[in-house]
Amino acid sequence: MNSYNPIIYLSVFFVLVVLLVLVFNTRNGVYFTYLKTKNATKKTAVEDILKLLYHNDRFTEADIIEQLEYSHGLIESCLLKMLSKQLIAKESHFVQLTDEGEEYALRIIRAHRLWEKYLSEKTGFHKKEWHDRAEQKEHELSDEELDQLAKLLGNPKFDPHGDPIPTKSGKIVQKKGTDLSRLPVHSIGKIIHIEDEPAAIYKEILAQKIHLHSQIKVIESNEQIVVFEAEGVVFKLTPVVAKNITVQELDPENILDVNNSRLSNLKINETATIIGISKESRGENRRRLLDLGFVKGAEVRINLVNPLNDPTAFLIKGTSIALRKDQSEKILITKNIGNENNT
Amino acid sequence: MKELEEFDKIIALSNELRWQIGDDFHDDLTEAIYADAAKIVKKTVVQNSQKGTLGIDAKIDNIVTSKIWGFPLMLFLLGFVLWLTIIGANYPSAMLSSLLLDIVHPFLKESTAAIGFPWWLSGFLVDGVYLAVAWVIAVMLPPMAIFFPLFTLLEDFGYLPRVAFNMDSLFKKSGAHGKQALTMSMGFGCNAAGVVATRIIDSPRERLIAIITNNFSLCNGRWPTQILLATIFIGAVVPESYSSIASLAAVVGIAVLGIFFMFFFSWALSKTVLKGEVSTFNLELPPYRTPVFWKTIYTSLIDRTLIVLWRAIVFAAPAGAVIWLICNITLGDESIAAYLVHSMDGFGFILGLNGVILLAYIVAIPANEIVIPTILMLTVMVTGISAGSGSGVMFELDSVSATADILKAGGWTLLTAINVMLFSLLHNPCSTTIYTIYQETKSLKWTVVASILPVIAGFIVTFLVAQIWRIIF
Amino acid sequence: MKTTPKSACETCAHHSLENVKKLGVDITNVDFVIALAGNPNTGKSTVFNALTGLRQHTGNWPGKTVTRAEGAFEYQQKKFKLIDLPGTYSLMSRSEDEEVARNFILFGKPNVTIIVVDASRLERNLNLTLQILEITSNAVLCLNLMDEAQKNNIQIDTRSLSKELGIPVVATSARSKEGIPELIATISDVALGKIICKPHKIKNIPPQLEQAIKKLSTAIQNQYPTVSNSRWLAFRVLEGDTHIIEALKTGDFS
Repeated sequence: MNSYNPIIYLSVFFVLVVLLVLVFNTRNGVYFTYLKTKNATKKTAVEDILKLLYHNDRFTEADIIEQLEYSHGLIESCLLKMLSKQLIAKESHFVQLTDEGEEYALRIIRAHRLWEKYLSEKTGFHKKEWHDRAEQKEHELSDEELDQLAKLLGNPKFDPHGDPIPTKSGKIVQKKGTDLSRLPVHSIGKIIHIEDEPAAIYKEILAQKIHLHSQIKVIESNEQIVVFEAEGVVFKLTPVVAKNITVQELDPENILDVNNSRLSNLKINETATIIGISKESRGENRRRLLDLGFVKGAEVRINLVNPLNDPTAFLIKGTSIALRKDQSEKILITKNIGNENNT
Repeated sequence: MKELEEFDKIIALSNELRWQIGDDFHDDLTEAIYADAAKIVKKTVVQNSQKGTLGIDAKIDNIVTSKIWGFPLMLFLLGFVLWLTIIGANYPSAMLSSLLLDIVHPFLKESTAAIGFPWWLSGFLVDGVYLAVAWVIAVMLPPMAIFFPLFTLLEDFGYLPRVAFNMDSLFKKSGAHGKQALTMSMGFGCNAAGVVATRIIDSPRERLIAIITNNFSLCNGRWPTQILLATIFIGAVVPESYSSIASLAAVVGIAVLGIFFMFFFSWALSKTVLKGEVSTFNLELPPYRTPVFWKTIYTSLIDRTLIVLWRAIVFAAPAGAVIWLICNITLGDESIAAYLVHSMDGFGFILGLNGVILLAYIVAIPANEIVIPTILMLTVMVTGISAGSGSGVMFELDSVSATADILKAGGWTLLTAINVMLFSLLHNPCSTTIYTIYQETKSLKWTVVASILPVIAGFIVTFLVAQIWRIIF
Repeated sequence: MKTTPKSACETCAHHSLENVKKLGVDITNVDFVIALAGNPNTGKSTVFNALTGLRQHTGNWPGKTVTRAEGAFEYQQKKFKLIDLPGTYSLMSRSEDEEVARNFILFGKPNVTIIVVDASRLERNLNLTLQILEITSNAVLCLNLMDEAQKNNIQIDTRSLSKELGIPVVATSARSKEGIPELIATISDVALGKIICKPHKIKNIPPQLEQAIKKLSTAIQNQYPTVSNSRWLAFRVLEGDTHIIEALKTGDFS
């Protein structure tokens, strides 16, 4: 122990820590970058090109190179291979999908959306991770696994963002809607799709807690700002963000009570009737809420407020059940008026 | 084979139907059931008024969850239960240990000698197996017999769900469930019981978090170690009139540090390896019910105390045997124990510990209660000072100063004491707890994670403390 | 592989006991197996203790009993084995305790299932009750915590409740053992076939769903003629319950 010097030991330790962080950092660590490049095979590149072409009609080779993160050379060799396999055809300098190519693209889209549905229903991964995980997984699932997955999920029609999932035979439900920035002021619509790309805009939508399938009423809409009310909350978005939300204008007979609100907006001593649970509550969480009696028509009021403000205990069907705010804001209610003397 | 074909037809039909009826089947079905239920209730139940016991419940609830009283009340009750456990257990513990260790142990030694057992057999059985078991019973039984009934009374009354309610937002920040406040508190009594108690958490991710981090609650088996070391070493560095306060603060500080680590690792786990596990939340606040006092005491003894104690005994017996064996089997001119102690001394020094302490923690995996006796026995063996009753025979001394003398003779400094206190908080769970974790998770992976994680934390923390200490002093 | 069923004996003791034996219940010297189901925090374990004289711990805390507890009692020279199932809100989610409870009632086919409900919170407890009645016909509703309900000024017409549900209803306050002798007598009557239950079936299902369920349950019934709860199986298959689908495949419902 003669040569012992604590400073040296300490330094060695910190060097080790820094090295470990560099290697295993999830964002740009050596290990994960290695995994990414290892997975970036020709097959994934081909499949990504197919998807890109499925969504974009008149694309040139230059467009493809610009949109995808693969190297120039890889994309070129992929395109050659795809041409020879008759997945794509060239029309002047535009690249287009053949029928075969479209079928293949739909299969990948099916895999992507089914996997997102799986993540949303059966796992605890956060919303913001679904897309990236599905981007990986879509290239790995075999036909058989896809069938298994679809069965497990009950052949869902829509993915958690509201996008239709193509069936095995390539059927796809068509949805029509406009983007939110184009909905006229005072009109009432329903959010049918929230786009998860680009990530920065999706993050903003998530942060505002805008929910799929909520009924909205446009208050103000111009070049600078889109203001709308949904579920008793007022949201303000820039038109760029609003473009990523698809809405469907509602016919008068489909309009819910305009006074609908989120359970999280309920005040103490107010009573309310539950309209339903938002589509944003999924999987096991949704089932739990239903089992506990948070069903259409049930009466609810606040039983206890928390010293730290969250969670809140609600009295539902004779029992006091505490829910966190991120749960209660996914339950829709209409407040009962004139019932407030019930302390 | 025909059946399989028919089966496939049914599945095909069901797939077709599921596509037709859409994604809301579960919702519709549940709504239908509740609609039926509402109809039935309307026909059969008459509710005269909202008042009655609900009024009293509401009053209690308003106090126990109030901004002013909620948290002080919780801290007071937890502190009171722990205080009563530690103080109240002293007397029966002393009685049990004088009975089992001072009376029965010599008696067994003499009787086995009288029947003509060879020294190694009586050593193995009486000094090894019996002594470890007796020690565990004497130290473990009294605190658990006090702690669990008290805890159970609070539970039966209906107070604990309110604690979970109050604490939830703190735990939510670290990705955990409010009910973990209770399993953590239960861990202050016994980690194995704490792990079993995580059954009340019905969300898979949060339950795993609660299981893996339960060991950061300083359990009954470790409180005495903390108190002893704090009294000897921490109390000595301050003026005598403050010594008891300083040592108390040190022990509480270690427990609080444990809570900090619990939050930290809960957060880290929920953000990394456990983020894909399903996570749900619901917390029912049941009506208050007066507990049936004696029945609660009885059942908590049967259900919790005795089960945990039994498991501890099952694990302690072989450990006692191992301790005796490594001290009495020699390799060359050294016993295995001495050999191991010397080979681990270097690593121990880097951590601010020593080989004796590391070996004691390895062989005392079955129960934290026997760590101090093992350390004393090994120190005496390695240093060759005269105390105790022979190699492989664990002992403890009534006098704190005599214990201090032995430890100091073993080369202990204030740094050693602090690091042992830290390591006592941050090391692998005892084997009873490890076994319980496996029983509850049925997963080797999570059992290994729960066992290794605290040791790594312990190594890192003691290492850092040792180096910084040596740079400063 | 499934063979043609030997007999359609659904209620006879021997048939039923073979099923629970498969689930690991010791059936030596047992005439009837009784399952005890109910929501968490309804005093289910207290009922269990009152029936068996055992002292299982009963916390005022939802979800205490996660594993299965067993006990026994004797009534008029017949030996009853009682299995305490985990307390659950429903049988349709996929948590571990719900699967334990569900599997026992579905595959174990106990002679009688006692459903313990909290009299003050009947509506909410009926969610589980109505689900159980889709699975099994032989059930008894134990309307527990009647003392609390009385304190809360809640009155329940047990006779019309029994008529609505199609099963016997016994009011109890298990903590003071009130109503327990009646409960035992009723269990015995159902087990011996002296009381025939005609359980309530879920009614308010939207017509479009009801049609789909009917189609599927008819198909299941045709393929597995001895199955008595094809409608419940149809619910589960439509929800994609892999466990049930697997059981159908291997013919575990014979």
